[in-house]
Amino acid sequence: MRMTPTVIIVGILALLAAITLTVVYWPYATRTITPSDIFRQRSSMEEAGRKIYLQNGCVYCHSQSIRSIDWGHGAERIAQSGDYLADEPIALGSQRTGVDLSQEGGEHPDDWHIAHFINPRYTRPNSIMPPFEWLGMERIDTLTHYIQSLGLKDADHRMQRQRYWKQEATRAHEAGPDVNARWLAEIVPEGWRSIPNPYPTTRASLQRGQKIYQNFCIGCHGPIGDGMGPAQPWIYPPPLNFTILKGRGISGGILYYQLMNGITGTAMPYFKRDLESQKIWEVGDYVAVYFINQSDANTEPRGIDAAWEP
Amino acid sequence: MSNEVTASIPAGNPTAKAFTLTSAFWFAAATSFGMIGAGYLIAPDLMANIEYIHFGRVRPMHINAVLFGFVTPGLLAAAFYYFPKLLRTELFSQKLGVFTAIFWNITVAAGIIGISTGHTQGREYAELPWIVDIMVVVSFVLVVFNILMTIRQRKESILFVSIWYTTAAVVLTSITYCLGNVIWKPDTGALQGIPDAIILWFYGHNIFGLLLTPMGLAVAYYVLPIATRSPLYSHTLSLLGFWSLIIVYTHIGTHHLLQVPVPTWLKTISIVDSVAMVIPVMIVLINLWYTVKGKLGDIHADIGAKFVFTGTIYYFFVNIQGSMMALPHVQRITHFNNWVVGHAHIGVLGFAGLTALGGLYFILPRVTGKPLYSKFLADVQYWLVLIGITGFALVLTTVGLIQGNAWYNGETLYRTLPEIQPYYILRASLGTLIMIGAYLGLYNVIRTLYFNRGAST
Repeated sequence: MRMTPTVIIVGILALLAAITLTVVYWPYATRTITPSDIFRQRSSMEEAGRKIYLQNGCVYCHSQSIRSIDWGHGAERIAQSGDYLADEPIALGSQRTGVDLSQEGGEHPDDWHIAHFINPRYTRPNSIMPPFEWLGMERIDTLTHYIQSLGLKDADHRMQRQRYWKQEATRAHEAGPDVNARWLAEIVPEGWRSIPNPYPTTRASLQRGQKIYQNFCIGCHGPIGDGMGPAQPWIYPPPLNFTILKGRGISGGILYYQLMNGITGTAMPYFKRDLESQKIWEVGDYVAVYFINQSDANTEPRGIDAAWEP
Repeated sequence: MSNEVTASIPAGNPTAKAFTLTSAFWFAAATSFGMIGAGYLIAPDLMANIEYIHFGRVRPMHINAVLFGFVTPGLLAAAFYYFPKLLRTELFSQKLGVFTAIFWNITVAAGIIGISTGHTQGREYAELPWIVDIMVVVSFVLVVFNILMTIRQRKESILFVSIWYTTAAVVLTSITYCLGNVIWKPDTGALQGIPDAIILWFYGHNIFGLLLTPMGLAVAYYVLPIATRSPLYSHTLSLLGFWSLIIVYTHIGTHHLLQVPVPTWLKTISIVDSVAMVIPVMIVLINLWYTVKGKLGDIHADIGAKFVFTGTIYYFFVNIQGSMMALPHVQRITHFNNWVVGHAHIGVLGFAGLTALGGLYFILPRVTGKPLYSKFLADVQYWLVLIGITGFALVLTTVGLIQGNAWYNGETLYRTLPEIQPYYILRASLGTLIMIGAYLGLYNVIRTLYFNRGAST
């Protein structure tokens, strides 16, 4: 084959044209135009927040693309093409240096996000996200609107729930420590309230509990459990001061349940995805022993001791 | 091919020189951006609240500076040297060439400053705002015009393989760049929904497949036979390698979207052709490696050829790895994590970057008519970059496996952060080596071009 300029130019252009028609135009011509069940258009505020998201490269660390094999953030819903109809450009992302944000809307209340943008380590101590305080409060607010819309109709549903429980939690907090402690116990299902911590308190368990506390809790509840962590100024109702709970009937089961499920409406997230059972019991016991100064670990009713227990 | 060592054009080749300097400068700039990014991953508060070098901005600055500032101009510098040589003529217009280089630099600088100040379209590999997109296309069209006119006035009737590859690269990239940047929609530069992802990765993958790869192979095809004083092993393999590359590489961008709701048939095409990439890759490597068979001593003696030959080894690795990563079962572990970052570095720095550097060091003595200012410095740079990129490959692949397996088994991303931090530190250390190498290279290039007291050859 003699490679003349004409052969090269005509050959490559013909191939590119054929291939582009096949792998770009054809999928475009047959694209999905049916909205998915969660689809809705974004408000102008949400759209403005999305611009901030794109301008500042959030997309390089956060995907918006939940796969069938995912477990973490947002994994209840596998992405459908009808979810993305209004995205121009689409922001699927190619890397998860941070979590997927497809379903982030309503995962946390607004104040959690604002504290997180001011400095991500205020709410997530091990985060490696850089701070966004320099955006200024106005843009942080706009960006938060966008984040809270991720998941579209599902996000709206979650946000409604956040707002309802924020009112309830605020009312309880403002009624003083007695009412608040009672409310915190009463929102836990009856069965859990009477369960003591089934793990015995040991030096090793306390050390493990402390490690979990430092990696997950310290930003809001602070190093001495008084609720004065660095996130505190941004959060309302403020992080709970554990040191007032002594004698107020906070069982191991109540601590476990609140850690596991979080308190929707407040900045307290659920940890059931991040932490397995033993870790939740042990960080609960760490809080009970050191900050509440009252632990029911390994007390009755406790059944038969596990084989390894002292 | 004849054994051309000394420059036959007395006026020198200002276009090749200008692109050489461009490449060396942006290599230093790009690795500096990369280092800032690596620093954020270790200590996110270290450079807190400095808007213009914030991680989300410095990362695309790094990538655009590497692709359009360092590697492409480096490979173009060599092209502007070997086009006149292989065609036995002068470059059509040195003035136009130098103008192109200046305009190219303005374009890249405008793009980088744009991203730094938040003017980005937010699409990976297609960040540049519309006006800069137009400037990029103009830059490419100027190159296309210059080389096509050079081909037209050639005195050598047979076109050597390097000419095919580079012509294809710049012509096709002028087009895929417009498509991928959705240049007909200036405000967003994007389509809506899933088709946007398809066109983006068609283009994104072709930055490597239709720009860096063919231009890198063109340099290898030019440098290795000359350095080893050997005829090219096979014309037939050259032909097969060229056409199979154009056919196969263009199909595979969708392997970035295997876990996304795009049509299954499109995923299937991308997987099949990703595996089929073995064909163009091995054809070219067999051709090149057989050409230099038994002559590794000659390659070792020529610093340019040494870079280029090492590049071909990385070309082998990146493609075998790429074919493997396109398999859906493998991708369950490798997608979304640092494995892919490692893969991108192996390809762009390990293959295309080393090849571009090799091209620069190969042509510099030939366009200046003097030996390199310091072969020692170039050798030091070779080892710094080689150790850096090899370390990157190992570290990032390891991190990717840790992340991918943890996620696949249900451990949350937040939990894996402390596990991978030591590797981020290693990665930054290795990046430091690469960055020092880039600055040494810039110094060496400047000294060779402007302040070279060495004897004229």
